[in-house]
Amino acid sequence: MPLPISKTKALLEWKLYLFIVPSVLLIAIFSYYPTISAIYHSFFMWGGGDTKEFIGLKNFTDILGDKVFWTSFITIGILVIANVFRMIPSIFLAVLIHRLKSDRWQYWYRVMVVIPMIVPGLVTLFIWKFFFDPNLGVLNAALDASHLKTLLVHMDQFFGWGVFYEGVPTAWLGEPALIIPALIIWGFPWIGAVGVLIFLAGLQSIGTEVYEAADLDGVTPFQKFLHIELPLIMTQVRLSMVLMIIGTLQGFGLQFLLLGPDGGAGGRGMVPGLWMFNRAFIAGEFGYACALGLFLFVFILGLTWINNKFVKVDK
Amino acid sequence: MNTPPATVRRKTGDLSKHIMIWAILALELLPFYMMIQISLKTNKMFYENTWLPALPQDWVWKNYVDAFHLIMPFVANSVVVSVTATVGALFFSLLGAYFFARYKMPGGNALWAAFLLLMLLPGVANIVTLFALLQSLNLLNTLWALIILGISGGQVFCIYVLRNFIEELPKDLFEAAEMDGASHLKQLIHVVIPMSGPIIGTLAILQFLGSWNDFLMPLVILRDPQLFTIGVGLIYLDGEYVKQWGSVMAAFFVASLPLLIIFLFTMKLFVRGLSAGAVKG
Repeated sequence: MPLPISKTKALLEWKLYLFIVPSVLLIAIFSYYPTISAIYHSFFMWGGGDTKEFIGLKNFTDILGDKVFWTSFITIGILVIANVFRMIPSIFLAVLIHRLKSDRWQYWYRVMVVIPMIVPGLVTLFIWKFFFDPNLGVLNAALDASHLKTLLVHMDQFFGWGVFYEGVPTAWLGEPALIIPALIIWGFPWIGAVGVLIFLAGLQSIGTEVYEAADLDGVTPFQKFLHIELPLIMTQVRLSMVLMIIGTLQGFGLQFLLLGPDGGAGGRGMVPGLWMFNRAFIAGEFGYACALGLFLFVFILGLTWINNKFVKVDK
Repeated sequence: MNTPPATVRRKTGDLSKHIMIWAILALELLPFYMMIQISLKTNKMFYENTWLPALPQDWVWKNYVDAFHLIMPFVANSVVVSVTATVGALFFSLLGAYFFARYKMPGGNALWAAFLLLMLLPGVANIVTLFALLQSLNLLNTLWALIILGISGGQVFCIYVLRNFIEELPKDLFEAAEMDGASHLKQLIHVVIPMSGPIIGTLAILQFLGSWNDFLMPLVILRDPQLFTIGVGLIYLDGEYVKQWGSVMAAFFVASLPLLIIFLFTMKLFVRGLSAGAVKG
């Protein structure tokens, strides 16, 4: 704990305040000011420059009638749910690594899990964009080689999706109906290095004697997971789920890189953050973009509040 | 009863786990395998042979020559921005953390609350108004804008971690230094910094990664191709219509090289830093 200090001594130590001045100035100018400025400008028609016109709540009433924005909310909802499932392989891998007897292998697998992190996320996304390419893309080649394509074509005929045809390369990012699936598939098998590492940290507290006792009782591997491992990493799972939801809701880098600022064919990949970006930097409607951003801001803040109030994360 | 001893049973059980782990990791690392093997082929070689690497004598090193020409300027800009932003962020957050950790200064609690609040506030609306702010500060189309944003963006998390760390340091050390007439700055340099090597290293890696991977702010700030950082540079390359996939993949590899070099030297810090980074989200 910091030492208590009397008023008079604090006056003598006034120089200590100089230490905090740069940080305070930085966050005031580059974190607080933009937020306050966004609230202020959401009541204006504003093109980003000096001229602006006060229009009251018009930006907000416009949001109510903005079909693109509400559709983008449905899209992001689907992606959030998909991301919950995308967490499963990381949990599975962490449990597998943890159950190994050899510490040396555990360490080396951990290093290998981290390796994708040294490739910039942008590069990974671009490689996946290349995988999705209809003509040279590796994904189509893999589907053809494994005959999964034939299965998909049959399923297509059965369900009437109208997207997979024999002999026609699938345009993953060009076909509106496939955009959301592509946004979910990318990154398969969805191992998140940070996720695996924090799950492993949570699992560390299980002693070998627990496993030995379980072995003696003839517990199956899946029961071990349900009754021994999962309860111990529940805190970490919940924490990373909360961070994932907040991150997914406000993120739009993925959609921007794979699909461009218009959300791809038919705008099917449009998400709220990207729509805000699009309105500001493509349409030049900065005031409206501020209102959209503010709407998202309040929405996420509400979720954070609910989480802090009702979901207890013991740390 | 003829059950094998527990150790033997466990060994055989582990084999299937190793296989599963290898299978998952192989799929996970597939994109990087493809990146490296395609980076050594021409387009024609790639169409004829998608999956397997070319024979060593056929490797097309010219792709790397092209890639270096294309993106070395971007890499150089990124190095300047990321290194400066990392050093700056750590310098100012060390000062800030020392302020919070050393004494309960009047007003300290209110300031601390202002910092913590930023951890909860989503920054989603900021990109629009930050752009306007940088415009009025005449910082658009400069690398300084990225450096300053990198420094200020790191303050909250770094101060949060460093404050907790400095508070754990033995108080006697500070008192002894004070007896010798050391100023606060000297105490910071001679007491705090020598003892917090690993934590500073961890934070530095996280800052550097964040800065290196950023592409949205550079995209809206930078107009001049000479100033492009790696993020915008790759987006710019991606926009080209006819692509030599070999040189594109080689460019991707070159863009990852600085991080690879850091990784090789700081593997332990890297692994720990990423676990800590989970809290930052």
